Amino acid sequence: MGFVHPLVLWLLPLALLPILLERSNTKTYSWVAMLPADPLSNLIGLLLKILAAISLICIILGLAGPHSLEQKVERIGIGAQIGMVIDRSASMDDPFSGGTAEGRVGETKSVAAARLMTDFVNKRKNDMIGVVTFSNSAMYVLPLTESREAILAAIKATAGNSLFQTNIGGGLTSAVGLFEHVPDSGSRAVILISDGAGRVSAEVQQKLLDWLQRYNLSLYWVVLRQPGGVSIFDPKFEEHYEGILPSEVELYYYFKLLRSPFHAYEAEDPKSLAAAMADINQKEKKPIKYMEKIPGHDFTQLCYFIAALMIALLLSVKYLELRTWNTKI
Amino acid sequence: MSEQHIKEFSYHIAWRSRSRRPGRHKSNQRGMGMEFRGHTTLLSYPDPRRIDIRQTIRDPLEQIHVRIFNQKSITPVFVLCDMSGSMQYGSNQRKIEVAADIAQSVAQSATHNRDLVGFIGFDDVVREDWLCTLSARPHSTVEMAENLRSYTTTEVGSRGIIETVRLLPRERSLIFMVSDFHMPISDLEASLVLMQRHHIVPVVLWDSSEYSDLPEFGITNVTDPETGATRTLFLRKAYRDRILQSFNDRRATIKNLFSRYDMEPFFVENHFDADLLSDYFHQYVAA
Repeated sequence: MGFVHPLVLWLLPLALLPILLERSNTKTYSWVAMLPADPLSNLIGLLLKILAAISLICIILGLAGPHSLEQKVERIGIGAQIGMVIDRSASMDDPFSGGTAEGRVGETKSVAAARLMTDFVNKRKNDMIGVVTFSNSAMYVLPLTESREAILAAIKATAGNSLFQTNIGGGLTSAVGLFEHVPDSGSRAVILISDGAGRVSAEVQQKLLDWLQRYNLSLYWVVLRQPGGVSIFDPKFEEHYEGILPSEVELYYYFKLLRSPFHAYEAEDPKSLAAAMADINQKEKKPIKYMEKIPGHDFTQLCYFIAALMIALLLSVKYLELRTWNTKI
Repeated sequence: MSEQHIKEFSYHIAWRSRSRRPGRHKSNQRGMGMEFRGHTTLLSYPDPRRIDIRQTIRDPLEQIHVRIFNQKSITPVFVLCDMSGSMQYGSNQRKIEVAADIAQSVAQSATHNRDLVGFIGFDDVVREDWLCTLSARPHSTVEMAENLRSYTTTEVGSRGIIETVRLLPRERSLIFMVSDFHMPISDLEASLVLMQRHHIVPVVLWDSSEYSDLPEFGITNVTDPETGATRTLFLRKAYRDRILQSFNDRRATIKNLFSRYDMEPFFVENHFDADLLSDYFHQYVAA
């Protein structure tokens, strides 16, 4: 049990006030000893004081904001730990070449990416998925978690307005960071969804090379091609290509050098995309053990509810209170 | 309240006053009264106006006889007034105000009968500041009673009733003991034992809102003005009946106690009616 504002608890002695102080609106009776003892009356008197004390306690507790502490539960599932790295650069707002084939003309790449990821996530029920987006720099969205709701919401949020540049290196390093404090389940992957544009500096390249290997991460790259864009698998870029390689292709060749498993897919049409997803699906299936955090429950509402109930009871008693007794003092 | 508004009652006493002072009550003092007491010789009672010629003629020893009469004398009248916390209670009129009415009525009536009147207030002790010595004039008592109307007090009881006896005269007096008698019966009895010499009229001030005129239904808190004790009351039919029963028992207890000392309590509810007190004297006090 924890409190948001524990200092408010110092007010708790105030709850004794109704017990220590007499009610101000008492009537004076000439000789109370003449009134025969009445257990019911005494009980009601005691209850009224207790009600008042409880309502005060509940209000003060409510102000202090009680909540149970978060709990960690170990769970075992079959699946992978997947870090999704989603491009949010301005180029992602360009049309998606695969959309036309599926009958969605004019679908932007970012929307398509969100759609594809959503489908993918819905297919894999036991994965722990973390989300990182990037444009100018990486944006940490969601740590590795099992909560479908959070993952889908995070993916949905990526399909919004875009920023300008494509900093793939930053996105990937952040994605690697997702795995830093999570026990290795043996099946870990980073899925990079981008339209490929962007260069990675030599320093970051070296770092990625080390980290992907250290954290035992396989990398899947889904390239969203825009109509008429270059294909990374274009044989004309292989060997002896003269001239400057397009950034996608350059990145592809760099990824190929990685010591950890790497696969690239071009999500050009639904079929190849489905194949890519099925491929990932198949490769990343091992039992994983992970700790799930169950958030603490907030009891503030309950406290206020009880206090309101008690006050309502007190008010109803107030309604029963004698007003007709005509005494002088 | 000016004096002409004070309603008087008529009272008499059942014993012979021993006071020399001429008044309206039977007395055992020889004097200028109408009550024939006997004969004596002129030598021993040299009052030629009272020579009884028939008795003188009939006397073979030829002494001159004189009739002796008892004069009418006064009697001291006291108001013993309870000034405890419970006397602050009342519905239309506080009990202490009713007590003031009674004290003023007594003072006025006593003066009318040429009796001496005094006032003794008491709570837990005898209140020396609420004391009027015997006087043939009612003013000081009336004024003191007038002050009583605005009197308020804190938490005090009425144990002083036992001590009041030391302020009473040795001769038999008429004493109006004005109180609600919300006090332990043992205290009351202790004081009555000491006051047996006097003729006591217990005036019991009760308020109908105390017992018979309670609200029908509801919850309230009550405080005792003497002890400060607080209770919560849940008034309902059964409990009201029990309160009423408790007061009826109390009434019987008070009556029994006073009856044992040959007194009849005079119950005053809500307000004082002097005529009822006159009736009381006619009914319970032998003329």
